[in-house]
Amino acid sequence: MIYELTEEDMWRLLQKIAEEYDVFGSKEELGEVVFSKISSFSEVSEKKSSYSPKDFLIKRSENILEIPRAEKKAVIGVKSCDLRGFYLMDLQILNKDPFYTVRRQNTLFINFVCTEMCPGGFCTSFGGPVLDDYDIQVLHIGQSYFVEADPRYERYLAGFRPASDQDVFVKHSKEFNRKYGKIELNGIEKRMKWSSKLWTEFANYCISCGACNYSCPTCYCIDVYDDETGRKKEWDSCILEGFTKTAAGNVRPDLSDRLRQRFYHKFKYYKLSKGEYLCTGCNRCVDDCPVDIDIKEVITHDYDKE
Amino acid sequence: MITIKNEYLPEKMKPIRFRMETDDTYTIVFSKRTMSHAGQFYMLSVDGVGESPISVASGFGNPLTFSIKAVGSVTKYIMDHRDSAIGLRGPYGNTWPWKGADHIVAIAGGIGIPPIKALIEDMESEGNLSDLTVLYGARSPKDIVYKNEIEAWKKELDFRITVDNGDPSWKGNVGVVTTLIPGVERFKNGSAFVIGPPIMMKFSVQELIKHGFSPENIYLSLERRMECGIGVCGHCNIGQWYVCESGPIFRYSDVMNEPEVFL
Repeated sequence: MIYELTEEDMWRLLQKIAEEYDVFGSKEELGEVVFSKISSFSEVSEKKSSYSPKDFLIKRSENILEIPRAEKKAVIGVKSCDLRGFYLMDLQILNKDPFYTVRRQNTLFINFVCTEMCPGGFCTSFGGPVLDDYDIQVLHIGQSYFVEADPRYERYLAGFRPASDQDVFVKHSKEFNRKYGKIELNGIEKRMKWSSKLWTEFANYCISCGACNYSCPTCYCIDVYDDETGRKKEWDSCILEGFTKTAAGNVRPDLSDRLRQRFYHKFKYYKLSKGEYLCTGCNRCVDDCPVDIDIKEVITHDYDKE
Repeated sequence: MITIKNEYLPEKMKPIRFRMETDDTYTIVFSKRTMSHAGQFYMLSVDGVGESPISVASGFGNPLTFSIKAVGSVTKYIMDHRDSAIGLRGPYGNTWPWKGADHIVAIAGGIGIPPIKALIEDMESEGNLSDLTVLYGARSPKDIVYKNEIEAWKKELDFRITVDNGDPSWKGNVGVVTTLIPGVERFKNGSAFVIGPPIMMKFSVQELIKHGFSPENIYLSLERRMECGIGVCGHCNIGQWYVCESGPIFRYSDVMNEPEVFL
């Protein structure tokens, strides 16, 4: 069931949720859109957050010898592309990493469906911006907030007005896709070439900063290490040289090897092992890359011509 | 506040025995019984130093044993602090598929030998040692691990050993371990288990195929950087697989087209 809420209704909805959850939202602070605690719906910004909400579930750094625990949190204002990242990561790490799992099970995400494509975004290539899997999904058109909930959260919508148009999300999806089109993936998992010159070309200007991994809503790799305060897990980057170093040597000694790995993982390995591409078209890795490496080029590149 | 079990939390214990095998390789034995089957590994850790994946060197039900070459911070620390408590979590990974095979040729290079010791003990407990041939290559006589056990194994099974470089007292085979492969051609319809440095595994596979073994019957135990052991950290992938989850043992025919199978 899709409901049609007013702005006041949205605040009532959040208050209902707040009876069980600590409520966080995307809001503007010092010129950036960040996630922090909110006390009214009017604080919520519908702009794309400066960073993905990944650290609600995977902390940048934390002690893993402690008890994995979670408080019940609700996060409103997450963009569909960022939310989809969690559903993709679930396929590999849910029920394996205890810290991710306990938070995933106790965090309610309320995602906003975009009405305009963000600069550089290509979510339509991965089924966006209207998602099939969500907790509570919101589409804001004019004065109306169209809201749908997964059966687990449907109770929060009881009492609100059912929307007269129950196809509003389907129609929006069609209209959005018609308006912005999509980059065809075209069997990218079969097209990419191991020996492509693209990898060495990227390596010529990549500075191994790892920003692409850190900004990515689907990158889940972690570094586990000890220091004087305990055993930590910390966001890691497959672009860094030490990522595959062992006593026997390094399977990816060159930067081009590591760049290729990043794209092969996203567009081939994950597709083969999990049936999904490990990308949501959010464009965050492009936005944050200091040397303008564009993941879309991996998709559009003509490998047959090489 | 909701909490769940922490898979990263190790059980801590001190080894009951410590033995130097070579200048840089040692064996530690715990009172705990081995609950893993040959080929599996544990994550061993020292607080404040780190964690390392180490293969189990003992058969199911025997005292849990590891033989470790001191090459990194954790493995060196354990050698230098024999009294310290060691963190253990596992077992993880899959096992050597020895049951049902015609004959097994296990080929170990260097510190690849401990999981073959576990294999010998697992097969022995089911009375199958006549189905096993072991080829072991060490760098030199002083680098041979399990010198005492090897004397006993030579009486119980077909155990062949070679060293890359001999010394005046060495009367046995000299040459890399692949030089022993022509001698096992009569077992070509059996299975081959290969474990050791990447270059040794690469040439062993080539030699096995040259002598009639099929890629479907060759199994490799792959070494990758591993930081979690449970399919989360992302360091140990080979193609679409994580070595900790789908391995460490892979059928060669499944991974032979992966460019990163050997280093």
